[in-house]
Amino acid sequence: MLVSYNWIKEYLGSDAPEPKEIERLLTFHAFEVEAVEERNGDTIFDLKILPDRGSDCLSQRGIAREIATLTGVPLVYDPLATPVILSDTASIIVDITDATACPRFTASIVRGVKVGESPVWLQERLASLGQRSINNVVDATNYVMYATGQPLHAYDAGKFPQVGGQYGFTVRKAVAGETVSLLAEGGKSEDRIVTLKGGELLIVNTATGTAAGLAGVKGGRFAIVDETTTDLIIEAAHFQATLTRRTARGLGIVIDASKRFENEPSRTLPPLAQQAMVDLITQIAGGTCDGMIDVYLEEKVPPQVEVPVAEVNALLGITISEAAMVAILKRVGVAVAVAEPGILSCTGPMERTDLTIAADFIEEIGRIYGYEHVVSVVPEEAAARPALNQRHIISEAIRDTLTKHGFSEVITTSFQKKDEVALLSSLASDKSYLRSTLIPNLADALAKNAPYTDLLGTADTRIFEIGTVFTLGGELGVTEQVALALGVRLKTTGYSGKEDVVLEMALLALATILGTPTWNKVKGIAECNLTSILKNLPQATAYALVPASLATTYVPFSHYPSVSRDIALWIEAGTEIGVVAAALNAAAVPLLTRLTHTDTFTSAVGRTSVAFRLVFQSHEKTLDGGEVDAQMQSIYATVTGSGWEVR
Amino acid sequence: MNQTKSGHRHPLSQMIAEINSIFAERGFGFAEGPEAETEVYNFDRLNVAKDHPARDMQDTFWLSPKQAKVPMVLRTHTSPVQARYMESHEPPMRIIVPGKVFRNEATDATHEAQFHQLEGLVVDKGIHLGHLKGTIEYFFSKFFAGDVEVRFRPSFFPFVEPGVEVDMMLRGSESKLANRWIEIMGAGMIHPNVLRGSKIDPTIYSGFAFGMGIDRLAIMKYGIDDVRHLYSGDLRFVSQF
Repeated sequence: MLVSYNWIKEYLGSDAPEPKEIERLLTFHAFEVEAVEERNGDTIFDLKILPDRGSDCLSQRGIAREIATLTGVPLVYDPLATPVILSDTASIIVDITDATACPRFTASIVRGVKVGESPVWLQERLASLGQRSINNVVDATNYVMYATGQPLHAYDAGKFPQVGGQYGFTVRKAVAGETVSLLAEGGKSEDRIVTLKGGELLIVNTATGTAAGLAGVKGGRFAIVDETTTDLIIEAAHFQATLTRRTARGLGIVIDASKRFENEPSRTLPPLAQQAMVDLITQIAGGTCDGMIDVYLEEKVPPQVEVPVAEVNALLGITISEAAMVAILKRVGVAVAVAEPGILSCTGPMERTDLTIAADFIEEIGRIYGYEHVVSVVPEEAAARPALNQRHIISEAIRDTLTKHGFSEVITTSFQKKDEVALLSSLASDKSYLRSTLIPNLADALAKNAPYTDLLGTADTRIFEIGTVFTLGGELGVTEQVALALGVRLKTTGYSGKEDVVLEMALLALATILGTPTWNKVKGIAECNLTSILKNLPQATAYALVPASLATTYVPFSHYPSVSRDIALWIEAGTEIGVVAAALNAAAVPLLTRLTHTDTFTSAVGRTSVAFRLVFQSHEKTLDGGEVDAQMQSIYATVTGSGWEVR
Repeated sequence: MNQTKSGHRHPLSQMIAEINSIFAERGFGFAEGPEAETEVYNFDRLNVAKDHPARDMQDTFWLSPKQAKVPMVLRTHTSPVQARYMESHEPPMRIIVPGKVFRNEATDATHEAQFHQLEGLVVDKGIHLGHLKGTIEYFFSKFFAGDVEVRFRPSFFPFVEPGVEVDMMLRGSESKLANRWIEIMGAGMIHPNVLRGSKIDPTIYSGFAFGMGIDRLAIMKYGIDDVRHLYSGDLRFVSQF
């Protein structure tokens, strides 16, 4: 959420901390600061407000209040501390059919306004949060929402049909199949007619029965304010968080108002926002307020919670006095009393709907006091050895055996384009199903890796995977098993049949760990169900020693194909192969990526021949024959220069 | 050519084995749970209510309701194993849960729809934030073979209270990672609702939990430039480890 430094300074006063200090205070005591930007003489903070503080901190005032808590300096101006002095009005009637869905509904009338452009200061305030100015009335509703966190809506009273001389609102649940017309969303020109599932909350004009909008989610064109409007009805209500969220998400609408309702702002806000709105609108658009109706059916006040003093230190791992705890809580605005020795009776301020259990208050003390005071306690050695994980032990033994047999481990995708177990609303079409077997992924990996043998200096391609597969059936309808699969590929052209010899040798080696499970063999790949095998194996008694990991740094590999050439040369007997290899390597820097010694023999007349496979590859492009030939010429020159002879 | 050249272990399984041996020395068990998890364990039991904004913190793959008999998801975190373990064991308990998790989001060099997470859980009498801090410092010091300092910032995860974001700093090493704060994981003291839901009395026991991305540790440890390499099955990648 964006926060304007100039805006919150209205609440914090001229002694407000500098932006850098605010960033530090919030980061270590409240929220993550995702960005700070200087813009048009203002500093804009982008804060990550997480769901626990969405109720009170999705507003400029909420952030200012949080900063005041952290500094201990009270706000110089608090829009939520301004008394509500609006008189009652009899010209509006409100009928709420479901008090849980709409516990509070307020509406006020302001007559004689002049709709027009907003003053510059208001346009600038909205622009600082990335909002565009529409007209002074709409801007005022938005301003008050961003200031206080309470969404509002303004209707043109002149276009709002009356019943018996009164403006009537009905707040009721929709019936299935009912339609409502909603204002076009950002970037679209046409209004959206929505057919409802039933159960969504509607704001209805009582006189005509017309749905004016979806409560808390979006309004329609009904009684819309335009330049001809002179009389306003202003609505500020509280709608049930979960219902608003369900409706909004169901329709794919997420706007600033619905986001605030979803986070359950305080029910005390609507009349306070009305007062702020009336004060602002009469200041910038003229007119006078005829009063407000406030229908408050279900009150909700912050609960009184007992917080044991000992528990605070015991959970936070700090040592602070009861007096210090009380002082911190008071800065938060908590009403604190000592219920009995050692027990603090705490009631959060009205806007903190998140403070409901002792741990919530303990967190407030911890974060405001500062987590830097938490002292590390190194875990003691355990009295008892932990239970051993048989799956891990057997998997490690398999990895050990297979890598010794030249197999490398892969971890492939759990998703498939088509298989048995289906996923809903996956973002990608290749993730519509879950794999029921590892075999297709291994077949893909073998085909992909087969051309890399020269590059990797291996004779063939051998891979394995240990991973979860999913099938239909079982108690939940979907069941999962851990599978092991291993595969061999000798040629780039595909399975040749000769792979089975290598595969069978590996399976034989695995038999010492796994016994003789049923292997499903498909074209050089074998798979077995590890979960069912594990049940029949004796329990292991210890974890194998884990070899220290390599102090390796990953080097990005080239995505261009490599080119292989062979070379054989006569050398003097007694010349070390390493010396020859180093000379060849030095001759073809940097394109010679790998040099593998492939053969040595000594002729009848006592000459020694050595052969190498040379692999060339570029990080920038696909090498052509000429470029490789040039490299070979350089190598030949080195050979001759060293007194060796190319065969 | 050399026919018996050794193959390579995947860096993630190598890391999981190392992580396990570090924690096993301190009495942590290696627990596991299903990758296709019920909504109840993935969300409800972790204090993530239906229709609550906290559900937005993770984009979720749902299984087809035509096939799954109860609402099921691909687990979005390893945390459901906390609830499963706590309800089937008695305190004191110390476990780690390394495993694959899933998020229904677009993939790029730093995001994969599948990745590995490491969960840690300790429940006993008198467990506090200091134990959490000490345990994480102990682990990282061993894992990065250096002197690691940890700091907490306030955060929110529905299954802990207080919840913290954890930054680490490797001191005095020549590594590129050294001498700067790196955001590394989320953690906190287990929420009393979660303890109670697993039939553990929060007035007697307390505990901490942490969760971090193993893939991210791999990226840090080895300087990997694209997280998707981990799941590509490409031996040009795996052969470097």
